[in-house]
Amino acid sequence: MTLAVKWGIPVALVAACVGYLIYTTSGGTSEYYLTVAELQSHAQAQSGDVRVAGVVQDDVVKSDGGLTVRFTEEDGTAAMPVEYSGTLPDIFKPGITVVAEGRLGSDGVFHAKTLLAKCPSRFSTQPYTS
Amino acid sequence: MILGYLGAGALLAGLVLGGFSALLSFWAGARESAVFIQVGRRAFYAATAMTLLAAVLLETGLLTHDFSLAYVAEHTDLSTPIALVAAGFYGGQEGSLLYWTLILGLLGSASLVASAVLGGRVAAYATGILATLLTFFLFVLAVVASPFELLSVTPPDGLGLNPVLRDGGMLIHPPVVLAGFAAFAIPFAFACAALLAGRADSAWIAHTRRFALLAWGLQTSGLLLGMWWAYHVLGWGGYWGWDPVENVALMPWLATTAYLHSAQVQEKRGRLRAWNFGLVILAFLLVVFGTFIVRSGVVPSVHTFAISAIGPWFLAFLGVCIAFSAVLLGTRASSLGTASGRPAEAVSREGAFVLQNVLLIGVIAVVFWGTVLPLVSGMFGLERVVSAPYYERAAAPLLAAVLALMAIGPLLPWRHAGRPTLRALRWPGAALALTLVMMLGAGVRSVAALIALPLAAAAAATVFTEYGRALMRKPEAILRGRRRYGAYLAHLGLVVVAVGLAASHVAQQEKDVTLTPGQQVSVAGYTLTYTGSEQRQDGDHTDFIAGMRFGDQTLEPSRATYAGLGGQALTHVAISTTPVADVYVVLADTGSDGSASFRVFVNPLVTWIWAGGAVIILGVLLGNAGAPSLQPELARRRVAATLSL
Repeated sequence: MTLAVKWGIPVALVAACVGYLIYTTSGGTSEYYLTVAELQSHAQAQSGDVRVAGVVQDDVVKSDGGLTVRFTEEDGTAAMPVEYSGTLPDIFKPGITVVAEGRLGSDGVFHAKTLLAKCPSRFSTQPYTS
Repeated sequence: MILGYLGAGALLAGLVLGGFSALLSFWAGARESAVFIQVGRRAFYAATAMTLLAAVLLETGLLTHDFSLAYVAEHTDLSTPIALVAAGFYGGQEGSLLYWTLILGLLGSASLVASAVLGGRVAAYATGILATLLTFFLFVLAVVASPFELLSVTPPDGLGLNPVLRDGGMLIHPPVVLAGFAAFAIPFAFACAALLAGRADSAWIAHTRRFALLAWGLQTSGLLLGMWWAYHVLGWGGYWGWDPVENVALMPWLATTAYLHSAQVQEKRGRLRAWNFGLVILAFLLVVFGTFIVRSGVVPSVHTFAISAIGPWFLAFLGVCIAFSAVLLGTRASSLGTASGRPAEAVSREGAFVLQNVLLIGVIAVVFWGTVLPLVSGMFGLERVVSAPYYERAAAPLLAAVLALMAIGPLLPWRHAGRPTLRALRWPGAALALTLVMMLGAGVRSVAALIALPLAAAAAATVFTEYGRALMRKPEAILRGRRRYGAYLAHLGLVVVAVGLAASHVAQQEKDVTLTPGQQVSVAGYTLTYTGSEQRQDGDHTDFIAGMRFGDQTLEPSRATYAGLGGQALTHVAISTTPVADVYVVLADTGSDGSASFRVFVNPLVTWIWAGGAVIILGVLLGNAGAPSLQPELARRRVAATLSL
């Protein structure tokens, strides 16, 4: 056996397995990442779970001991009501950007399974305007 | 005010010196002019000194609350604790770049001091490459994102920092990660220098071995500290979220891990030369790629990046690095040649190292694809993203195979494995079978756990077998072969980490409850009793503290509300660590009637992750301890040196 055969075949086999793994799992587990406007204008994105980024508006209503929350998420051009049950991110408040993961119900309400807040990577609280 | 001018001046001086060092070193290297090679090296030291001066000036500005500097005003205020003010140095965009540059300069200088042994040309080219990198960073700092920018009006107080970041973990996590990244520039520079000079031997590997290990140790600590911080401060019950920011820190670590292993094949057997150059270059390109992703905000992340003008500069820098490396490898790799003698069998120590490398590169491919998918899919239609399930399903089989290799690889001899090897494998084999039987007997039915934990037990058994052999024959062998035994210790630490990751991932339990005082909640057999809550005013925030009785201790999860920050809340998780699991209580909200809502997690074996991390660091220290006594042996084994080009 030559060097290329002895080493090449096992390496190629492993590489093929890795490619297959990436191809099959990324097809099955990926979700759309959209703005509110994109979600409302693309029917194909309304059938499964999607992630929608937008800004939390002032109408936050908490119930169920703070574990359920309802608010409007807006991205500048479009808005939608979001309902979420679970622990809220610490920095959750009107005005911050959140990414809601879930699906748009037939009632027009977005039922979020997870709610991520954009985390402040900067040490400062807001950009300094002088 | 004066600090701003001095700092900007120091950066400009550093920029000029760095550029001078780069140009002179390449020119002097090509001509092998010993005098000018030394001048180039000294110019590099001088550029580093200027960077150090700039860093000292920025730190002085922070500590003296010089709010005429925009950077100081944006990242600190008068009420910020002094340790966090000092940490503001690497807390913001510009400062962290200066920190990166400083580490690059200091470690680069350290690596150049004794570089003359590699020969004039390699030393000069390494200086040139390090100086080019340093010059790029100093250019960005001096021209694009200066930490010494002045405000037109000096404000009476700064803006302070976000309470989420007011935590001890934030003091040490970023500098460790950044230093780990910067340190890998040294192996990269010397690898490229050896390629440029047409040197096929492994002298550059030996010379930069400690820097590669330092980079790996820092990156490992940085990743674990980040996980520790996320777990103890963010309060979502986990420690790893496959966010792009985490992914781009993980990929260089994987590449560095692969390189540390394949480098041994070249040192010991003179093989895989081109492969090693490729791996070092890949690891460094991943560092630059990560810096670009984090600084540019091109992919969606839970982190809001400080989107600034430096994104395009880093993209251009990445492009230049890729083009330079590709041309260098493409033109020089074919002339590297291989060692004489028969090639090794596939089932051998060499084979195990190659397979481990291929698997780790596979994991990098998985993580890379997941990270750039939003970019790629966004070009062809609606943006798509992947989350934890993708990474876990695609990477877990590969990582399980790596665990299996950790059990088998160290017991395989170089060149080819025969019958005696099978006998050596009996201990890890027994550990694997025993763990599997015990887990099945205990009623564990999770396939992931049934694969991961027995493999981890086998890998641990291999380490113990190796230590046992040495102790029985001649214990002093452990001290003499400390590189090898340090590596085994790091293996053991990694196994402990893997057990913690697998157990806490597979068997985590959580429950959301709202309780009135006196009520109980039970999660995974742990019972907690809510004893009531109280409210306390503490400086700029109000604390709501709930009491949860757990056995004979009281856990006090709390929620601080910062009125000055628009009512932003900050959760303080309460964690009780028992030997088998962490009971992790988050206070979600408090009601006016004295009730409180909690999310309770039971996270099995999370402490193993942190303990394993400590063992890994011990291993790295053992492997690095004492004088580099292996040099003579290396010199003896080194394969014939310079190639004719």
